[in-house]
Amino acid sequence: MNKNDTHPDGPQISALLRESRMSPALPPCFQQNVWRRIENAEASARPASWLDALAAWVLRPRLAFATAAVLLFAGILLGVREGSQSARHEAQARYLAAVAPATLR
Amino acid sequence: MNRSLVILFGALALGVAVFAGSYFVSQRAAELCCARPVDDLIWLRDEFHLSDAEMQRVRRLHESYLPQCAEMCAKIAAKKTELQAELAGGTNVIADAQVKLTELGELRAQCQAQMLRHFITVSQAMPPEQGRRYLAEMKQLTLGASELMEQSMSGDAGHEHQH
Repeated sequence: MNKNDTHPDGPQISALLRESRMSPALPPCFQQNVWRRIENAEASARPASWLDALAAWVLRPRLAFATAAVLLFAGILLGVREGSQSARHEAQARYLAAVAPATLR
Repeated sequence: MNRSLVILFGALALGVAVFAGSYFVSQRAAELCCARPVDDLIWLRDEFHLSDAEMQRVRRLHESYLPQCAEMCAKIAAKKTELQAELAGGTNVIADAQVKLTELGELRAQCQAQMLRHFITVSQAMPPEQGRRYLAEMKQLTLGASELMEQSMSGDAGHEHQH
């Protein structure tokens, strides 16, 4: 623990010290310089070509996860549909083979 | 190679892999899930939404039809063997082979008629709408193929025999 905190005049001394601390003067055109640096940083982050822009767009996590989810869902949906149709055709062929000789078809 | 291009191709390949993987896995799962190899009549129950009582009636008809069908198949097979034998030996094959071909044709016609009778009987054991659909589908599946072949051999398909 700081010894100053226990001193009876501690708060007064702290206030005097804060007042005596001089804040340095801002350099000329400080604000303009800050904005210029921000603009330069944004300009350097901008992609160089449409290919880079597309790659950056593709790598966005939200888009990547959404696309993967859509592809997964579409794959499952189509696969189940195809699989059940193929099983249906197989069952139909089995019935036909039982009731209708292949030579008559 | 351009880094962006690699990223794009990688993303594309990943997308294709995700889609293809999920497609093939679910297709196989659906095939395994829906396939019931023990019963020949499962297609009828699923396709024409038959109740247990209707299935029992259809099963009885099917089981009584199978020996008749097997008998007819055996007759056709024997006649085909006779025809092959006629064609293989002897010099005056045309007349004898023609007789066998006629007999074979008659047997096939009898078999088709018997098959159609069975389809009609089975269709009557189903609810009317399903029965009509069953009969139409069976006619198309069993007789439709030979009709198509005959049409392709006649002038309908733009082809005529050159005698």
